[in-house]
Amino acid sequence: MPFGYHGCYLRIDVSQGSVVGDPAGGRVKQQLVPLADTVLRQFIGGSGLGVRLLLDEGCAHLDALDPRAPLIFAFSPLVGSPLTTTAKFAVVSKSPLTDRINDSLASSGFAIAGKSCGCDAIVIVGRAPELSVLIVDDGEVRVESAADCAGMTCQATDTQLRARLGTNFRIATIGPAGELGVRYATVSHDGRHAGRGGSGAVMGAKNIKAIAVRGTKRPEWAHPRELIAISKDLSRRSFGPATAKYRELGTATNMLTFNRFGALPTRNFQSGTFEEAAHLSPEEMSTTRSKTRDSCVTCTIGCEHIYGVGNDTVRVEYESLFALGSLCGVGDADVVLRASQRCDELGLDTISTGGTIAFAMECVERGWLDAPWLTFGSGGALLRAIDEIGSRRGLGHLLADGSRAAAHAIGQNSIAIAPQIKGLEMPGYEPRALQTMALGLAVGARGADHNRSGAYEVDFSDKVDRRHATLDSVRHAIDTEDRAALMDSLIVCKFLRGVFEDFHGETAAMLRSVTGWEVTADELRETAVRIVAAKREFNLLAGWTPDEDTLPERFFDSPLPNDARAHLSRERLDALVVEYRRQRGW
Amino acid sequence: MHVEFLGVSRERAGVAEMDVQADTLGHLLGTLAARMPGLAELIAVDRLHPSLAANLNGDCFICDPETPLSQDDRVLILSADAGG
Repeated sequence: MPFGYHGCYLRIDVSQGSVVGDPAGGRVKQQLVPLADTVLRQFIGGSGLGVRLLLDEGCAHLDALDPRAPLIFAFSPLVGSPLTTTAKFAVVSKSPLTDRINDSLASSGFAIAGKSCGCDAIVIVGRAPELSVLIVDDGEVRVESAADCAGMTCQATDTQLRARLGTNFRIATIGPAGELGVRYATVSHDGRHAGRGGSGAVMGAKNIKAIAVRGTKRPEWAHPRELIAISKDLSRRSFGPATAKYRELGTATNMLTFNRFGALPTRNFQSGTFEEAAHLSPEEMSTTRSKTRDSCVTCTIGCEHIYGVGNDTVRVEYESLFALGSLCGVGDADVVLRASQRCDELGLDTISTGGTIAFAMECVERGWLDAPWLTFGSGGALLRAIDEIGSRRGLGHLLADGSRAAAHAIGQNSIAIAPQIKGLEMPGYEPRALQTMALGLAVGARGADHNRSGAYEVDFSDKVDRRHATLDSVRHAIDTEDRAALMDSLIVCKFLRGVFEDFHGETAAMLRSVTGWEVTADELRETAVRIVAAKREFNLLAGWTPDEDTLPERFFDSPLPNDARAHLSRERLDALVVEYRRQRGW
Repeated sequence: MHVEFLGVSRERAGVAEMDVQADTLGHLLGTLAARMPGLAELIAVDRLHPSLAANLNGDCFICDPETPLSQDDRVLILSADAGG
């Protein structure tokens, strides 16, 4: 077994055993499964290891909410090390929103505590007989009733269970949305979310309200002195200009930048500029309300900017501001902050929530949906729609399955304006204004995704014409996709990417110091390609077809208003996708 | 020409925009560094720190200090790391 790993994963069938009437909690069927060194070296950890285990489970054909479909929490060799930003874990499953692969990441103490249970991943199958909390206590597994947490918000559940179990447990929870099977429900930990693709609904389908972990088993590092030296150097550089944006303003500063470039999705992608963008910018919000900063465990960047709204505080990210703000035409910062907070409480992915509501707003505008209260710009309507989704009441029952499913129910060829790719709602990047990103979104294994493709970075550089992608864009899109796959498997935060001068060489040195493997930069490049290919393999088994790698029709119809150059033809995108597959060797 | 600051560059410059006389990108950046101490640490003589990028008129991104600029141009200074 290499250093940095436990060399096994914990497989738990929560349907075995009963928790009813047993105050000590019920035993469940648990199995410690060895992991071969070759598998660890080929897939590292996090997303890569999770996808590999998901393939091994042979479950791609199952419905994502079938109790037999696994939900995997995957850790990484760097977790628990002094390397900054590495306290992260991946949640991997089939997505109930896309029916394709889903790997979402979240941060903080759960990653360290989970790995300290003595395993490199936790694979959960089955369905508990009642709403339960799954407890992994230093490797020993039991389930207890969570009936007292039914309907509770993510935060309230965490508070309740820590009071019951002890504050040294780290807990991942779902909110009411996950319990009710909202297909874009999140898994929440410490106020952060494994947000995209509906892993919260998968957990809810297993009748698991929360997973509580603690442990004492720490793997040794191969070269501690070298690791500490690398860690100190990386931390020092993480305080520099490359991360200043995240530290000083947070991702919310994208609001004004994207608006200036006509790349800020507005009113369900009908425009790339929003006249009230300034109200949602950190530059303006910080002058009208309190603001503090926070960071994940072990992080030296501190990207989290927390704003006051009334007596509450809300963690603010660009993606939430765009999805619940400009995309829905809402420019009232108080409302958008409340909306973001409500999504956090209910356990809803803010991007899919905002995207689905914005889609419904346009359907109402076009007379395709009878909900006259749901209009662009109405803060009250936004908040009402979120609550209805989170409780699957009223219109929320239709919208809880995402914009693609809603479009199929509405008809009228509304799928043409549903802001989704492979069923996953699009992030805040207008593809006509950022065309290398358009390719990255179209081919993404988990659907429209800004965390699995960093192609937008290329659009904001002198390497390409952002409004006229050519075949030269393809190599750049592949490079950013590969790099993301590697960062999500090591795991290190993507906000460090500007800090690295030699990304592959430096991360190889990190992995070498932890594991003792003589890993090289070239080997990591091959590993990234392997992980991307494994995601595709899962999708092929799940029924993927080539025509899924595209954008909604709306983006091919016309250029962006006020920017005639921002025009993307179907033929151009198709040519890019064909070249992408050729360069991938697929 | 007119200079617009976005994100961190605006924080450091202390203004959202300003007019500057300069013939080239290098000349512009040198002038900004001299006038704005907060921005100076992100400008190495006539080049931006890699964490920042310059864009011409909302169209192309520019980094060559010899890039000619005209009086009617608008130069945007923004974070190179635009996503997140």
